[in-house]
Amino acid sequence: MQTTMEARPVATGRWRHGLVVLAALAAVGLALRLAGDAGGPQLRTFVLVFSSLLIEAFPFILLGAVVSGAIEVYVPAAAFARLARLPRGVQMPVAGLGGFAFPVCECGSVPVARRLAMKGLAPAAAVTFMLAAPILNPVVLVSTAVAYRGRDVLWPMVLGRAGLGLVAALAVGWIVARQARGELLRARPEDDHEHEEHRASGDGVRRRRWPAFFEHVTTDFILLGKYLIIGAAVAAALQTFVPQSIIGAVADAPILNILAMMALAGVLSLCSESDAFVAASFVQFGMGAQLAFLVFGPMVDAKLGFLYAGTFSRGFLRTVVVAVATITLAGALWLEVFFG
Amino acid sequence: MTEGFETRDRPRVVALRVAQAVLLSAWAGMFWFLVASGQSWLYVGARTAWVVPTGGVVLSFAALGRWLSIRAPRPEPFTSGRAWALGLIALPVVVVMAFPPSSLGSYAADRRSAALGLAATGDASEGEITLVDLGAALWSEETAAALAGRAGNEVSFVGFVTRREGMPADEFLLTRFIVSCCVADALSVQVRVVNAPAGRFEHDQWVEVEGAFYPLGDEMVVDAARVRAVERPDRPYLNV
Repeated sequence: MQTTMEARPVATGRWRHGLVVLAALAAVGLALRLAGDAGGPQLRTFVLVFSSLLIEAFPFILLGAVVSGAIEVYVPAAAFARLARLPRGVQMPVAGLGGFAFPVCECGSVPVARRLAMKGLAPAAAVTFMLAAPILNPVVLVSTAVAYRGRDVLWPMVLGRAGLGLVAALAVGWIVARQARGELLRARPEDDHEHEEHRASGDGVRRRRWPAFFEHVTTDFILLGKYLIIGAAVAAALQTFVPQSIIGAVADAPILNILAMMALAGVLSLCSESDAFVAASFVQFGMGAQLAFLVFGPMVDAKLGFLYAGTFSRGFLRTVVVAVATITLAGALWLEVFFG
Repeated sequence: MTEGFETRDRPRVVALRVAQAVLLSAWAGMFWFLVASGQSWLYVGARTAWVVPTGGVVLSFAALGRWLSIRAPRPEPFTSGRAWALGLIALPVVVVMAFPPSSLGSYAADRRSAALGLAATGDASEGEITLVDLGAALWSEETAAALAGRAGNEVSFVGFVTRREGMPADEFLLTRFIVSCCVADALSVQVRVVNAPAGRFEHDQWVEVEGAFYPLGDEMVVDAARVRAVERPDRPYLNV
């Protein structure tokens, strides 16, 4: 079967755009090489934090893209149709607890959640999974326990983190539940193209799925990679120029100390697998403030802000920030009363 | 130059896809370079060292898949916007490969948190005293008590020199960072070195200090018997 495309004067092979970009990259590389140590400790610190955030996060973004591509291409739509028929009240808690079964960190969970929503899962359930998985993740809970070993608050921290994280994720899911899929997800031109690619690959006698799979992997990687890089640059700049001791003054101020630790988590943009070690080092802050750091950070931070902006519609980030901050603050205060 | 696609049934090489394949290959190449050169230790800790070779494998897989699917049955515009987006994603590769290998120094130590609240590496009352033990002693009364009983013991630490304003010429802080996952979570450990050769060691210079260790109040002090300049260790960060 042949489908003739309408001839359009589209400039498709602009290799020269690529050459201009390559030249710009070469210039940046040369400048960095020449600057080297002469660039001062600020440049060195920025480059190290920026690079290490990305070296740590890019494999997870790509793994998320691979899982997302596999869901799109290899999991039959009927499987999701059955899931989508379940009441939302069942889908959401199951999705929230899905983190135990799918240990993904925050960068990997974003493309997976988007794909789950596109495939028919209730968007609220996909969002709940995305927010809960980086906390309700066996690796993260074990590393939290390791960071707090030998302390009285070990179990309150581990269980408080898991419990409060799940509650916050369910709450955000519940808030966005009234939004339709099209309202919640940011439209991407690639989506239409991906569907056409599917159809095109289905036109032949032998249907080859792997080109469509790699198309999904590449487009997800490039879209989210772009936002991750911008987020990492912002986080690295804040880490380079803003001293962490700036929040020390409010360590004993009730409520303010919790808000300060949430703000710090948002600025640092740490991976949820390592943030417990940093939280544990803020010994001058109480247990509630440290817990707030551990619940808020994996759901809201500088790099995630950009990832959400590229994935979800306008307003989603505001909803997440307000809802997660409110629930984290309330939960941290409550736990501090009991265990502080 | 256009790719002149007219029908869907004659796949042609697409410039955009070639550029994507090159980008993925560059990222994969960088990860393999970090593994082969040992420079991954400048960015990640022992806990997440596996991420680097895993990233190499997954990125190589994605790159191979893209190279095998560079032909498409219809044209895909390689616009200026898409080219710059790919350039942005290539930027970290350029930064890592072009910037001379280095590690966090005193500037970062002044702006980051100290490694308080760590658990000691073992029973601090016996065996080798480590910088992590010293960090633990600043917070844990138990570790502090164990170390107090070992005042005067010989220690040997490697770290870099941090000079603070107003410090006597024969004193400096020996600093080392502890990394859990990556440099973004680095926490500092510092010990005051006294009786060091005055003015011989520069700010941020890596040194090995040998001497007797004394806990003085809230501070850990090493009375230096020998201080010598050393190269930055292959693994500049300690791990917990």
